[in-house]
Amino acid sequence: MKYWSDIQDTLKNNIVLAIQLLLFFLAVYIFITGEKYGFWKSPIIVIILFSWFFLRNKTKHPITWIALFALLVFDLYLFYFRVANHHFVLTFMVLSVVLCFYHNQSDILLKNIQMLLVVVVAASAIQKLMSSQFMSGEFYYYMMNRGFVFNVFHPLFSESLEIAKSNSDQILELQATDPNIKESIVFANVFPNLGLFSLIFAWITVVVEFIVAMAILWKPRSKWVHLLFIMMILSILCTRLETGFMALLAICGMFLCRNLKLRLLYALIVIVCLSLIITKIGFH
Amino acid sequence: MPIAPKELFLKYGIPILAIIVIAIQFFFVKTQHLNHWKGGGYGMYTKVHFYYNQIYIPGVSVDSLVDNNNDIKNAFRMLKIMPNDAHFYEAAQLVLKATAKDSIHVQLWEPSVNSNSGAYSRVLINEIHLKNQDL
Repeated sequence: MKYWSDIQDTLKNNIVLAIQLLLFFLAVYIFITGEKYGFWKSPIIVIILFSWFFLRNKTKHPITWIALFALLVFDLYLFYFRVANHHFVLTFMVLSVVLCFYHNQSDILLKNIQMLLVVVVAASAIQKLMSSQFMSGEFYYYMMNRGFVFNVFHPLFSESLEIAKSNSDQILELQATDPNIKESIVFANVFPNLGLFSLIFAWITVVVEFIVAMAILWKPRSKWVHLLFIMMILSILCTRLETGFMALLAICGMFLCRNLKLRLLYALIVIVCLSLIITKIGFH
Repeated sequence: MPIAPKELFLKYGIPILAIIVIAIQFFFVKTQHLNHWKGGGYGMYTKVHFYYNQIYIPGVSVDSLVDNNNDIKNAFRMLKIMPNDAHFYEAAQLVLKATAKDSIHVQLWEPSVNSNSGAYSRVLINEIHLKNQDL
């Protein structure tokens, strides 16, 4: 079928495709976050758009990408402690692309992306391992009893959702009282044995993150490693619609992956995540 | 063949930069009580989000303070992200000015949950007493 061969042709040049997806992600991300200090950002955006339309591939320097990097650093400078963690990942990815225009070596770009991915996933696992609230399962216990996770499955469990709503109402009532009185409430569990489930789920999360980080470090091109990584991304999306972060992880996967079908899967994840970000169903 | 220093720098410079950012985040978490969710250390989803921490000021409605004053809103947000002495002082100072009181008591509480008993309570993170004459 011609459509499939066209798709295959696009997927064959995965670095170009990953950079295009990254550029599109940046456009969406900047559109959503550009409002703050917009007066100072607009001249940079003018440079980005002008250089993209008139000067791309025509100058020695990647002006568009340098200006995009400047815009991300501008937000980091102003809101270092307020921006999301994937803002840092995005900044490092854009810096990798900027440098690639100078060294022109795809293996260096891929090593940047691979090691960045290892650092991000490993750091996430270490942070969880160091948190007593997470490792005891109390974090997931809280999130599930408030209906903050597995939102995609909520329509199937309306009874659990009712319980979560009643827990949230109880918290609201408690919030209205003086905390110095040391009053407490008791959660009704959204399903039986939630404490044990939360504990097991917490340990599985950390183990999977560690395995994924080590696997990407050890065999960054392996089909099985990417299959595991894609499963991790999809599981996170089912747990919580962290579409911004997951789109970036999928773009990283696209850079490193050799298998055409898995590349298509990465592309679909990015496209669906971007659609959910644009419609504000997912987080940016 | 050994890798040239330039190539080594190009390959590992950016990941090392990411590790430096994580180290800085750890430092701020330990010394300035920075919340794990912020600062580029990838500590999101390690504990309940700071949004659910509660600022409590006896005798003052926090909601109406935030609704009417953008500076207080930003100060409270920073207080929740990084409840260090400087942010407590800044928040208390703004509240004192806005309420025209002689003294103010600002507390920050975080949720605590026990997965065995199901008990949900609040734990005091830190607090400040500030008098008008101290300004």
